[in-house]
Amino acid sequence: MPMVLLKCDKDIPEREKHIYLKAPDEDTREYLPIANAATIPGTLSERGCAFCGAKLVIGGVLKDTIQMIHGPIGCAYDTWHTKRYPTDNGHFNMKYVWSTDMKESHIVFGGEKRLEQSMNEAFDEMPEVKRMIVYTTCPTALIGDDIKAVAKKVMKDRPDVDVFTVECPGFSGVSQSKGHHVLNIGWVNEKVGTLEPEITSEYTMNFIGDFNIQGDTQLLQTYWDRLGIQVIGHFTGNANYDDLRKMHRAKLNVVNCARSSGYIANELKKQYGIPRLDIDSWGFSYMAEGVRKICAFFGIEERGEQLIAEEEAKWKPKLDWYKERLKGKKMAIWTGGPRLWHWTKSVEDDLGIQVVAMSSKFGHEEDFEKVIARGQEGTYYIDDGNELEFFEIIDLVKPDVIFTGPRVGELVKKLHIPYVNGHGYHNGPYMGFEGFVNLARDTYNAVYNPLAGLAGVDIRVPEQVAPVLLREAA
Amino acid sequence: MTTEALTDKVDDLYSYVQERCLWHFSSRAWDRQENIDGVLAKAGDMLTGREPVLESPNDRLQFAEAKSMVDDFRERFPWLRDAGDEEVRQLLDGLKERLVDIAITQSHNRELKHHLY
Repeated sequence: MPMVLLKCDKDIPEREKHIYLKAPDEDTREYLPIANAATIPGTLSERGCAFCGAKLVIGGVLKDTIQMIHGPIGCAYDTWHTKRYPTDNGHFNMKYVWSTDMKESHIVFGGEKRLEQSMNEAFDEMPEVKRMIVYTTCPTALIGDDIKAVAKKVMKDRPDVDVFTVECPGFSGVSQSKGHHVLNIGWVNEKVGTLEPEITSEYTMNFIGDFNIQGDTQLLQTYWDRLGIQVIGHFTGNANYDDLRKMHRAKLNVVNCARSSGYIANELKKQYGIPRLDIDSWGFSYMAEGVRKICAFFGIEERGEQLIAEEEAKWKPKLDWYKERLKGKKMAIWTGGPRLWHWTKSVEDDLGIQVVAMSSKFGHEEDFEKVIARGQEGTYYIDDGNELEFFEIIDLVKPDVIFTGPRVGELVKKLHIPYVNGHGYHNGPYMGFEGFVNLARDTYNAVYNPLAGLAGVDIRVPEQVAPVLLREAA
Repeated sequence: MTTEALTDKVDDLYSYVQERCLWHFSSRAWDRQENIDGVLAKAGDMLTGREPVLESPNDRLQFAEAKSMVDDFRERFPWLRDAGDEEVRQLLDGLKERLVDIAITQSHNRELKHHLY
């Protein structure tokens, strides 16, 4: 089966190169969707901007760092209270937002003084905080504000602070993926190696590409503690700024999100010789495999087997309860990129769910190589899907549940199809053994909840309500 | 072993790697080649009773990847237990050829040869 031109795309035929329907005996040598390419004019993309990739995904997770957004206040809105990466210090990163609040006069006359004043004001207001990341945005990049020079001056005036700059305005790439890249490369080149860690174990690693969504990092940390492995840097879930300056001393880089953070793992290998191990942290079978590989690297296989046995004894019966009830259900996964290939086999193997359509906002062609290798035949694989395509794909594959973000989630709610937040989760964590039971529970609750069906009827009329309740209870 | 039987067995191993592994789909062509060569070399050691060399960090990484794969191979493909050294070599050579073909030689991934990460 060649690439697919959907009916809704008849006026933008270039979209055919981005949508693939897998057929028997085909593989990525024949067909690979084009990805990480500019959105085609005429398509209503769900993508975020490059600044979003740097600030919302990676930098903003840090628990002890002022995140100074050098731009108009609107750029700051979506960086505050909309993400779900808690911390063990009272969620400092989710309580505050910092912006230089650029107005027209600053755009006309330059914003560097405004930035310097804002940085000093923020440090003065929060004297216990000594670390800051400064981000450019579209307007401040366009007027050429030199944020590195301002950061240098502030650090000279305040010798006890350290500032990292991210020059990644929203327009600088085709999606948030560009922001991931700029922050990764900037950090490894400018900050890694500038502090030395205290080594407390002969087994040390960095855990890269996990952002503590609803406690993922904290759950997995209990495993590493039980295994006796010291995590030098969590990139960046529940992490301190200074932890990430010490990443050069780890013996192993374990990578979960290869798309947002694979760059720093590659550079740590190139610059410091630290090998990169990619694992999947979602799903029973994958998590066990990841633990086994990490333990095999350190030569502590027995500890790993004990941990897996304990976790499976505790959580497998709960998982199986959901598997019995979710077997044969159809799921669509419309998220960022890697969750497509992380999840498609894990929900299939661990929960008996069939994944019928997958769409990636910012995945690269590498992500499509992985997901098409793992995914089923008869499944749609879409790059940078748009709203009309989502409607048409839903008609074609009729999913029982859709894992996606709130934007597309609102769209599918109008069709009375349940959705689970595939980015920030409904009730996570979702990683690890316990986490995958949470994912199963949220999937079960979504699929069997009568609310989606009731939204399509007049609930004042018992004759309309009863069939919905009977159907969901069946 | 007939060519057809060998092909069927390589198909099984290849399908497993495609579904379960990530190391052959790393970022750049040279990473993929290094991983394919290294992991399959360590797997060959394990399947033929040789002690894998574990001198460098990268040796240990490839050993960890290979160990997980070989354990699964042995569990899923009982015929592997009866394979002699020569047959193991042929199987892994066939597997390597298939992996290099899909992940490097015929890959449409436009980032594979970029000189920077």
